[in-house]
Amino acid sequence: MLNKYVLIVYLVIFLLSNVISAGELKKVENFTLKDYTGKAHSLADYKESKAIVVMFIATRCPVSNAYNSRMVNLYNDYHEKNVTFIGINSNKQEDTKEIAQHSKDNKFAFPVLKDEQNVIADKFDAQVTPEIFVLNSNLEILYHGRIDDSQREKEVKSSDLRNALNEILADKSVDTKETKAFGCTIKRVSK
Amino acid sequence: MRIFFIFLTAFLLVLSCGADGKNDQNHQDIEDVDKKYLLVKTIDEKGLDSLLNNRHGKILLINVWATWCIPCREEFPDLVRLVDNYKNEKVDIIGISADYPDEIETKVIPFLKAQRVNFINFVQNFGKQEDFINKLNKDWRGALPTTFVYDANGKQQIYLLGKQSFKDFSQTIESIKKSL
Repeated sequence: MLNKYVLIVYLVIFLLSNVISAGELKKVENFTLKDYTGKAHSLADYKESKAIVVMFIATRCPVSNAYNSRMVNLYNDYHEKNVTFIGINSNKQEDTKEIAQHSKDNKFAFPVLKDEQNVIADKFDAQVTPEIFVLNSNLEILYHGRIDDSQREKEVKSSDLRNALNEILADKSVDTKETKAFGCTIKRVSK
Repeated sequence: MRIFFIFLTAFLLVLSCGADGKNDQNHQDIEDVDKKYLLVKTIDEKGLDSLLNNRHGKILLINVWATWCIPCREEFPDLVRLVDNYKNEKVDIIGISADYPDEIETKVIPFLKAQRVNFINFVQNFGKQEDFINKLNKDWRGALPTTFVYDANGKQQIYLLGKQSFKDFSQTIESIKKSL
C-alpha cells in the first residue's frame, strides 16, 4: 500500500517537473562588446526594451548580405516600438574597419559589435550567419533562428522574426520559437 | 620576297597548329569529366532515405555545399581528391547542394564542371529547407559547408561543421573503418 503511494508521489513529481521545465526559457549571460566606433554596449543597457534582437551577421557572407535591406526594414519598423537591434560580427577575418564600411554601405542604423575571439558566439552557441536571438528584459531567449524562410525576398512565405516580434509586442507567447535556414559558418579562431 | 612569304606561311601554320592544340586540350579537360556526374538531379526526403537506407556495407560521406559558399568552393578539390583516394574502397561520397533547383544549369553544373567532379551531386528539394536540415541532424543549424558521415549500417557517426581538409576527411573515414 505504502509502495503504491510512494509510486504516485514520484509520478506526480515527475509530471510536475516536466511541466516546469517545458515552461522554462533558456537564459543568456549579460555581455559587453564594443561597436566599430569603440563604444561599449551591454545587454543590460537595454533592459527597458520590450525585446532585444541580437543578430549574428557577416560582411562577406552572401546569405547574411541578402538580408541587409530586410534588417534595415525590420529596424525601421520596430525600433520605435521599443525593440532594440544589435548586430554582432564574430568572424575572425572581418575586422572593425571592414564592419564600419559594411554598416555604412548598407545604412545600418543599429550598432554592429565586434566579437573578438568569438567569445559571445560561443556563449550563445551561434553557428551561422545570419542567426537571430530575441531576448526579453530578463535576457531569456524568446525566439532563435532565421529572419525568414527564403534568401530570395520575393519568395518569402514565413516572416518568422517579424511574427515573433509582433507576438511579443502583443504580450503573447511566441508561437514558433525555433527555426533554421542555410547560412555561412561563423569563422571561429582555433582555441 | 618569295622566301619571306614562305617563312610567313610556315610561321602562321605553326601558330594555328599551336592554337588548335590548346583548344583541343581545353576540350579534352571538359570531356574528361564523366557526364554522369554532370546530370545533377534534385533530392527530396524519399531520395535521401533511400540513400541512407541502402548502404550495401559502405561508409557514406554527405557533403552539403552551395555555389555561393566560399569555404565550400575551397573545400571541393579535397573532396575530389578524397574520391580518387577511396575509389577502390567501400566508401561513397555524395554532394548535396543548397542552391535552388532553378540554379542547376546556371550555377551548379558550371561549378562542378570546373572542379572536374568525380562524384554524384544533388540539389536539395525538400520544400522546406528546415526539414532537410533537421533530417541530417537536429543539432545542425544549417551552416555550410557541413559533412555528415555515416557508417556502413547507415548510422550517422559524426558531422563535421565548416571547411575540412583532405586529411580531416581521411582521418574521419579511417576512424570509422576501425570501429566497424
